[in-house]
Amino acid sequence: MKNTKPLNLREIVVIASISAVFGVLYLLWVFFGQLIQGIFGPVGHGLISGFWIMAPIVCAYIIRKPGVALIAELVAAGTEILAGSVNAGAVLILGLTQGFGAELALALFLYRSYRLPVLMLAGMFGTLANFITIYFMYGYSQYSSIITTFMLVAMLVSGAILAGWGSKSIADALGRTGVLDNFALGKINRQKRVKKDDLPHH
Amino acid sequence: MIENHQKSNHFLQQVNPTLKLISILTVIFFMMPIFDPWTPFVFLLLTINAIKVLGGVSLRFLFKFLAPLSLFAFSFVWINVVFPSERGETILFTIGSMPVALENIKTGISLGLRSLIFASWSLLFVLTTEPTKFMLSLIQHCRLPPRLGYGMMAAYRFLPLFQEELNQVRAAHRIRGLGEPKGFTDRVYEIKRYLIPLLASAIRKAERIAIAMESKGFDGSRQRSYYTIIKWTSKDLLFSTGLIILFSGLLLLRKSYFLL
Repeated sequence: MKNTKPLNLREIVVIASISAVFGVLYLLWVFFGQLIQGIFGPVGHGLISGFWIMAPIVCAYIIRKPGVALIAELVAAGTEILAGSVNAGAVLILGLTQGFGAELALALFLYRSYRLPVLMLAGMFGTLANFITIYFMYGYSQYSSIITTFMLVAMLVSGAILAGWGSKSIADALGRTGVLDNFALGKINRQKRVKKDDLPHH
Repeated sequence: MIENHQKSNHFLQQVNPTLKLISILTVIFFMMPIFDPWTPFVFLLLTINAIKVLGGVSLRFLFKFLAPLSLFAFSFVWINVVFPSERGETILFTIGSMPVALENIKTGISLGLRSLIFASWSLLFVLTTEPTKFMLSLIQHCRLPPRLGYGMMAAYRFLPLFQEELNQVRAAHRIRGLGEPKGFTDRVYEIKRYLIPLLASAIRKAERIAIAMESKGFDGSRQRSYYTIIKWTSKDLLFSTGLIILFSGLLLLRKSYFLL
């Protein structure tokens, strides 16, 4: 299902709320991540980095319109800054690039497919964007290419599993609560239910 | 505590939030090609002093934020010693069979200090900027659509409520005998158990607030009046000039002393 109408206020505030919750979680995750980075180095950090791509994928999967992923990640980054991130600059740049990465993957499928492999690809694009950004921002070119390669692989795995599969399972669980009935995901679920109920009558 | 600093009347608090945000980004781009340890060291000292003198933030308060980050900063040192892109020639000593080179330690210190500069410069922004002013400045100066700006502000105002709700969800789960998590997988499921009701109620609230905003005539158009107008003042000019002097001074110092 493709929907090219611009976002309405209801959808924007919902994106903002979901992303604000994730923004706070991102901030907690940053502290966790810095602990991991300090002890296990960049590869360990890479394995948990997919978490930072969850807001755009959850929102895009629910609302299914162009631009949702980018907006969601920017709002999450903005919330992180407002809530007192000690890395405002990095967070903002990363929010932009990660959101853009996830958005690009969905755009490749013309915003028509939101199946699991596509969401996983979006997560991987997001972590790839993250990798490229921090590679230049924190001077990772000074490390041996073996460690940066391992780091990239860890990030891509994390992007597929945490960001792709994790986001989908959260959004699906939310759909079952019924709060999404007014949004694209809820409507699609309802259509599926109706179809299933219809079958015996034919 | 943070709010007291954000609302006080020092120089940095009066600089336009958009300008401060741009300054962070220029700092990041300024630091990208620098790999010697002295430039970031001087820069870090100057930044911390600027926050103290121009922002009225006590050093003790500042270090409370920066101390946890030093572990993160230190990781750059050891990673650079163990996994450098090319090992330096001045071997100081060896750990086991691994030589530790002075050049790699220097680069590591430089990268660690760089991460601390990013953090302290971000603190300069966060500790001296009121969230509402920041958002209004984005709407008024950066052409952020009001629909998005006010939507974000509404969501941001709900954050304290989420905290309260989290406590309720936790209490509700406990009273139904779900108990405390045991082990790692339990803990992961616990996160999801809390997250879903929290997000569900966030979505319900968001729908309601959107309807309330629209029923009061908010249409998201740019032709609207503002209660607070964020102005450009002479302080912004002063801040930008100071920043340019800081950058050129650092480059000059680096060229004449640090790169020898």
